[in-house]
Amino acid sequence: MNTIFKNQYYLILKHGIKMELADKERLISPILFATTMLILFAFGIGETSEDLIIKIFLAQTFLTLLFSLQITFARIFDPDEKDKVFQLLQCYPINHAAWFLGKYTLVILVGSLVLVPTMLLAGLLNHNPKAPLLTPEIFLIAFLALAGLASIGVLLSAMTLKASGREVLFPLIYFPLSTPVLLAAIQSSQVLLSGNNSDILWQWVGLLVCFDVIYVTLGILLFGELAGSE
Amino acid sequence: MLSIKSLSFAFQHRPLFKEINFDLVPGKLVHLIGENGTGKSTFLSLIAGFRTPNEGSISYFNDKGEEVDDRRVYIEYLSAEANGLYTKMDATQNLTFWSKLRGHKYSTQQMVEELKKWGLGHPLVRTNFAVEKFSTGMKRRLALARLNLSACPCWLLDEPIYGLDTKGIDLFKSAILNHKESGGMAFIVSHDTYPLKELIDEKIEIGAK
Repeated sequence: MNTIFKNQYYLILKHGIKMELADKERLISPILFATTMLILFAFGIGETSEDLIIKIFLAQTFLTLLFSLQITFARIFDPDEKDKVFQLLQCYPINHAAWFLGKYTLVILVGSLVLVPTMLLAGLLNHNPKAPLLTPEIFLIAFLALAGLASIGVLLSAMTLKASGREVLFPLIYFPLSTPVLLAAIQSSQVLLSGNNSDILWQWVGLLVCFDVIYVTLGILLFGELAGSE
Repeated sequence: MLSIKSLSFAFQHRPLFKEINFDLVPGKLVHLIGENGTGKSTFLSLIAGFRTPNEGSISYFNDKGEEVDDRRVYIEYLSAEANGLYTKMDATQNLTFWSKLRGHKYSTQQMVEELKKWGLGHPLVRTNFAVEKFSTGMKRRLALARLNLSACPCWLLDEPIYGLDTKGIDLFKSAILNHKESGGMAFIVSHDTYPLKELIDEKIEIGAK
């Protein structure tokens, strides 16, 4: 990795972390949203039979993650939007891939802070003493889903930065694009927790990884276009 | 040297300027003049690379006379309506971020000296005090400090003295003078010409018939 790329990547990431810490409301609100949503689900659904617990756990967890992560992603360029910082960044000699990956890593970090408590709470609310839901493998699948969603999130957030009606436009594009990642993540989790055929599990995990690679590659390629001149 | 050849730009069907040819040479400050809406800021945004011209070219030649691939390395831009500052960060964090992004490794002492130069050197102002709490003039001073630390030979200044008090204007004049003496060059857009008149070397009218 060349030095300029590495320095700019770390600088953007480090600066992004500082910005998140300086404005904690941005971090707390998706976690609060996720908590509220899971509690509402728990009250709404109530006691369930054991054979349904896995399905309900997965539906609750991934639906909650989809919405709460969308809040996180949509706000990732907020500090850059103020005072025309993004415009100034455009005329700085920044490697666009370093810029994208810096933001992408930041989104993964911030997203993890939403993902982990969401999964822990969902696991607690759907506690199943016979078959534990919160296994390391489930967390791994959720992180793979986050890796794909984060790339779409950064790209769309930058894309809709100057768009009027951004609040409407972002979810309109984000939700359809997130479907293959979510589908693969839910299916692989379900196969894993049901203890079914491991071949099917690897097929779904493979699909999830494929979409992660596609979205990250697209992110790197398209972000350069967005960050360049009009 | 910044070389502009046959530059034309139009917003859809509304032409702003046509066939501008100009060479901005080291040590010169060029004042862009014209009525409101004639395209002075747009002209700067074309040079900064935010927009693509309809026709013509903008090239930057380094000290050796070689054309450079990425002119962003040599150009620093100051917008009219904004300062490009992270409002939740303090002055030192802002300066550190922008200068590191250009690959400069200034020491803390150098940062403090620069901030002192612009009247922002007090410890209670330069650290742990978010820029969002700064006055308009203080924000402009900080943006000018960033410009000065960029060490870029070509400055694009859009209404740079907006919000500055008399002392701030003097500081800006001194910075411009140093910049010119060290071989720097600048385009400036300002409707408040009086404080800058002794610094301006040439004028270009944008949108002239």
